[in-house]
Amino acid sequence: MKLQNMFKKTNRRNRVIQGNARPEVPEGLLRKCNKCGAAIIADEVREGNYICPKCQGYFRVHARRRIEMMADTDTFEEWDAHLASCNPLDFKDYDEKIKALQEKTGLTEAVVTGKAKIDGQPVALGVCDGRFLMASMGEAVGEKITRAVERATKERLPVLLFACSGGARMQEGMISLMQMAKTSAALKRHSDAGLLYISVLTDPTTGGVTASFAMLGDIILAEPNALIGFAGPRVIEQTIGEKLPKGFQRSEFLLEHGFIDGIVRREEQKEILGRILKMHGSPMKTVCEGSAAAHKAAGETTVRKKAGSAWESVQISRKKDRPVGGDYISHLFTDFIELHGDRYYKDDKAVVGGLAYFQGTPVTVVAQAKGKSTKENVERNFGMPSPDGYRKALRLMKQAEKFHRPVICFVDTPGAFCGLEAEERGQGEAIAKNLFELSALKTPILSVVIGEGGSGGALAMAVADEVWMLENSVYSILSPEGFASILWKDSKRADEAAEVMKLTASDLKELRMIEKIIPEPEDFTEENMDVVCKELEFLLAGFQEKYWGMEVEELTERRYQRFRKM
Amino acid sequence: MIGKVLIANRGEIAVRIIRACREMGIETVAVFSEADREALHTQLADEAICIGPAPSPQSYLSMEQIISATVTSGADAIHPGFGFLSENSRFAELCEQCNITFIGPRSDVIRRLGNKQEARNTVMAAGVPVVPGSREPLTDPEAAAKIAERIGYPVIVKAALGGGGKGMRVAQSPEEFAAGFQTAQKEAQMAFGDGTMYLEHYVEHPRHIEFQILADQYGNTIHLGERDCSVQRNHQKMIEEAPSKALSEELRGKMGDAAVRAAKAAGYTNAGTVEFLLEKNGKFYFMEMNTRIQVEHPVTEWVTGIDLVKEQIRIADGKHLSYTQQDVQITGHAIECRINAEDPSHNFRPSPGRITDMYLPGGKGVRIDSAIYSGYTVPPYYDSMLAKLIVHAKNRKEAIRKMRNALGEVIIEGIHTNVDYQYEILNHPDFVAGDIDIEFIGKMSRR
Repeated sequence: MKLQNMFKKTNRRNRVIQGNARPEVPEGLLRKCNKCGAAIIADEVREGNYICPKCQGYFRVHARRRIEMMADTDTFEEWDAHLASCNPLDFKDYDEKIKALQEKTGLTEAVVTGKAKIDGQPVALGVCDGRFLMASMGEAVGEKITRAVERATKERLPVLLFACSGGARMQEGMISLMQMAKTSAALKRHSDAGLLYISVLTDPTTGGVTASFAMLGDIILAEPNALIGFAGPRVIEQTIGEKLPKGFQRSEFLLEHGFIDGIVRREEQKEILGRILKMHGSPMKTVCEGSAAAHKAAGETTVRKKAGSAWESVQISRKKDRPVGGDYISHLFTDFIELHGDRYYKDDKAVVGGLAYFQGTPVTVVAQAKGKSTKENVERNFGMPSPDGYRKALRLMKQAEKFHRPVICFVDTPGAFCGLEAEERGQGEAIAKNLFELSALKTPILSVVIGEGGSGGALAMAVADEVWMLENSVYSILSPEGFASILWKDSKRADEAAEVMKLTASDLKELRMIEKIIPEPEDFTEENMDVVCKELEFLLAGFQEKYWGMEVEELTERRYQRFRKM
Repeated sequence: MIGKVLIANRGEIAVRIIRACREMGIETVAVFSEADREALHTQLADEAICIGPAPSPQSYLSMEQIISATVTSGADAIHPGFGFLSENSRFAELCEQCNITFIGPRSDVIRRLGNKQEARNTVMAAGVPVVPGSREPLTDPEAAAKIAERIGYPVIVKAALGGGGKGMRVAQSPEEFAAGFQTAQKEAQMAFGDGTMYLEHYVEHPRHIEFQILADQYGNTIHLGERDCSVQRNHQKMIEEAPSKALSEELRGKMGDAAVRAAKAAGYTNAGTVEFLLEKNGKFYFMEMNTRIQVEHPVTEWVTGIDLVKEQIRIADGKHLSYTQQDVQITGHAIECRINAEDPSHNFRPSPGRITDMYLPGGKGVRIDSAIYSGYTVPPYYDSMLAKLIVHAKNRKEAIRKMRNALGEVIIEGIHTNVDYQYEILNHPDFVAGDIDIEFIGKMSRR
């Protein structure tokens, strides 16, 4: 049955419209989302971090508002507020344009700098304002940023810049171009002084700003779906005569390609930034006595007799339900913040790394990460790192060196990824570079082999002050299958090979290649890994006590000798 | 003066409101999602405006769309029905800001009553009993035992971070309490990593009794008696009746007074419902106040003769209440059964689809509020309620008989419904005897 036009309608009463109080939407109550076009309630946008409640699109946030969102109440103190552009090229109509923008925005230039506190942590803060000539960088912007960075270097403050820019300012020609060099140089000095710089990229960050201060952060974060690139997408399309793929030059694209450490939603930004600043702000804590004493009590009970044959260890080390790198990170450390990317090509998911606390002290953790399911294993390439993975690991370790954070590595890989792309991007070079750099890294390094220690792919993360192994983990020149096939032309004799290769923890302890063996429970899984983690925690506390206060020369000399003797 | 009402709802309640408006000579504007183009409310109203795609967040919950539709259509008021935006204080506030009459209480009242703790504090200050409990978080068993004594046994121990029944224990006596508290705390520690506990008096085998309130803008507040909604499945009401077999005239007076006091304390206007838990011993406790018209309002309409939706519109239009408390007389007995598109043999899973044929009963004392018709397709996006079958008779016994007959006549082909399940309840000896509490359905389906 169709009901269209079947029903009688209301018999209208004589309507008297009283007064002029007709329903209407007051000005400013609703607004239109410039991304999805939907009508939205202005208050909801304001209260919701300027994110469209309908399409989750991000509205651009101007400088003052951003400072209000990030800085602790009443802590912002502006620097160089008076600095403005003085039209260095006498560009026509430029003065008038600047003046009009100054009146409209209440700003003197396209960036606001100063000092603030974020969750109680002091920081030199700079925020670009897109309303001002698309926050393009002319001399005033470059100067303000440079001065802020210089002052931060002098006052030993971390720097936090929120980038948003169309690039260099055309009206100021070559003077604009030089701001790229000037700001970068100031950041280099800030960095050499051992200070932290966090860059947050917002929509859009392009051109000369991307190619200078925006991409120089020790840690680079981005807002979701922000346009980030050097050349603008339209220019690229015109040049190459092709349509660009969806999502090209967006934050997610950059994350995948290894250029940013992470994408942080607005509602979490302040908390994450506060945590990162705190991790870089507090001096190293001394080892608490309890854990050191406990460690001593634990003593050398860690060396136990070998459980079964070498081949059994090989099989156990490969078991699907054996705890993986990620499990150790979540069980042994707190407040883990994952940092992504090698800053060259990709974020390799076979390596997971980032910042965390170990018993209250900031550390850098890097783990070769197998997956826990087939799907995750495909994503993580079964724990076989590509060159990008080793480069990410090295990047994070160099960062640890800069901030005097110890490095803790978890090794668990069948081997470095064997494939076309890996060779194209220099698998051998990447591994070699890690051996080279790690040998002299000026901060303590500990490597723990938790599963398979597959050859050079493992060693690239095990040039350490000490190497420990779990009871049933293995560490070898190559897989027993490979060994048998090369020497005996029969990969089926892998079990035999395993026995002669000396790849078990106890074999390697005897050969003095490793320092400690951590016992495992039977049928070792994440369920019962607490006992292993407890032991690891004791031992780590001991490692901390022994190495974390050591003079750099002694530390690197010891590490040199450790391998020199082999 | 309200001349045109936009109904921000769908289904039978939208139809119910359109009918009331039509009787009052008020024009109606329906809003509909793309899935409801053929819906009865869309066709029945004087005008209809599409407000977006099928999923409710993009249509029936989209405040901006509904406000825009109201202003565009020239309606002066919005009736929110129940569900959707009916208890959204933000929406009511938007209406106020746009000079649209929201047919319901003021936004600040909705906000206050929507906050559990604030609602509790408000009614407590007016002397309305609430379930006694510990305000302070507890960790020490001995201190907790003292508080349990004060609250009165039986008590229930709940984990502060609890959920899903974990970290919960009922203790009937101090002996049981000592062990129960520690087990619950241990469980909470294991499950939520936190052993902070709360204590509450355990209301045993309660009935769900609610009182209908009407209040105008001039401080006149009356109650229209109670509804017994104890027949519930997973907190979803299935059958409601008025009056309740459990209330004496004296208790009705006491609870009604408490309900009026609660409404007054909250500054309530328009139609609302105060929900209580009623123990066997006659003690009752405030649960919450619903700031909207209820699904089960027809049973009250029938035993009082008052059209609640019309009263809602009159009150919103600034009129005085048409009735005093003395005018309200309860006559006979009314029962409502909710007819849902769901499959009782498969754990009541929703059963959307096309209604190929149907026949609905009628006759003296039988009312049907529905939005279905032969050939109508029940969309899968919304609530599964198809119709409400309400009967009225001289007394409960006759009402039950009438309801059985009516249920027996319902024919809805093409989809599964709970009609047979309702028929079973109507024949259940405990229901017939009126011996029910909120655990009735749970016990019945376990058997």
